[in-house]
Amino acid sequence: MVSTLNFEITQRPDFSMLKVALESGQQVFAEPSAMASMSPNLTLKAGLKGGALKSLGRMFGGESMIVNTFTADKGPGEVVFAPGHIGDTQHYRLTGGSLMLQRGAYMANSAGIEVTGKWQGAKGFFSGEGLVLLKASGTGDLFFNSYGAILEIDVTDDYVVDTGYIVAFEDTLQYRVRTLPGLRGGGFKRLFFSGEGLVCQFSGQGKVWVQTRYVSPFLSWVNPFRLTKNN
Amino acid sequence: MQYDLVCRPASTAVRFALDAGDSITCEVGAMIAMSSGITVETTSKSRGGGGGIMKGIKRMFTGENFFLNHFTAQQSNQTLLIGPTMIGDCIHHPLRSGSMVVQGSSWLASSSSIDIDATWRGFTSAIFSGESMFWVKCLGTGDLFLSSYGAIYPIQVDGEYTVDTGHIVAFEDTLQFKIGKAGKSLVGSFLGGEGLVCKFQGQGKLYCQSHNPPSLGKLLGPKLKPR
Repeated sequence: MVSTLNFEITQRPDFSMLKVALESGQQVFAEPSAMASMSPNLTLKAGLKGGALKSLGRMFGGESMIVNTFTADKGPGEVVFAPGHIGDTQHYRLTGGSLMLQRGAYMANSAGIEVTGKWQGAKGFFSGEGLVLLKASGTGDLFFNSYGAILEIDVTDDYVVDTGYIVAFEDTLQYRVRTLPGLRGGGFKRLFFSGEGLVCQFSGQGKVWVQTRYVSPFLSWVNPFRLTKNN
Repeated sequence: MQYDLVCRPASTAVRFALDAGDSITCEVGAMIAMSSGITVETTSKSRGGGGGIMKGIKRMFTGENFFLNHFTAQQSNQTLLIGPTMIGDCIHHPLRSGSMVVQGSSWLASSSSIDIDATWRGFTSAIFSGESMFWVKCLGTGDLFLSSYGAIYPIQVDGEYTVDTGHIVAFEDTLQFKIGKAGKSLVGSFLGGEGLVCKFQGQGKLYCQSHNPPSLGKLLGPKLKPR
């Protein structure tokens, strides 16, 4: 099966959408609700991809257990995907390696790629947002999305990224979750006042994609506007 | 210190290229990513510990927390990437003389040579809609980075100019101001959807934002589960 997709990403970085032109018989897989529109010659099938265990792993990775399969079984056609929120979409071509995706960043992939959840142990537990990562591996096209724009960072040495802003990274990079380097003052002050809480320190060689906005601070901003209970 | 505004205008972030010794003061939580040769120090209010930790805690409980992170490059060729909370733009304003009054959530970062005074009480906070609204006064010479909800548009005030309080990003303090009602009568102003406005007078630069954060808060707040 052909695992190279003919695609186009438009309206970057704020209202990005992904249009995939499928050849007859070609397939594309996407997270549920990512589909915005499609040609009538495409068939949509929802299902647990890769069996129950792998689906469970994806669920822990903040994704649905269900992956929708779009098949051009009645001739060539196109399908348009868009993230559920304002934000960017990025393409990555996997050639046998692996890419780690932040919780919720997965959008779509071609045939030849396997997406599984990866339990990070204590590393993930302490990161708050849950650095529960998805692992995409194989050979093919992968698409992921963000809240805000996506910036690519070429890591050649050490690099520090706030855990909440990580979208994806190549698994050639080593990483560990820690507090900001050189942050002075006691633990209390450090954790509660710096606001930057936990960061991911990457080392080695590889690429990291970060997003320019993060939904949690926005939720904290909205919080004071909630009504108070009267009783 | 060099800077670059990227992904404008809705997802704008500021990318700094720092040399050893360069220092930037940022809003808490603004850091997205950075090289590892940068150290961070957290203070409340202004650099040098003005205000102190107890006052900081007090401000935190009164909803007036204002903590600053100071990023200092220890080596050359360091990058620092920062971004605001809201969907919107960021701009650079060179502060050469005098001072600038900035709406608290619009202040993103400034050179460490600029003094940040979070206790500015030129407006009585009670009269402003939106609980989280406070103002900071930036004084000194250096670079100032401001953020907005939506787009930012500059106004060169010469004479008089009226702005809805929720749309103010920052203004030079050469401007005099008066809080008032938009229409002739107070009832009429509120019915017209225009709450309180700020009437500026004199000569100076004013930055406004296309969207009004308290309005967004009031739209979303009632739709969420009560606190």
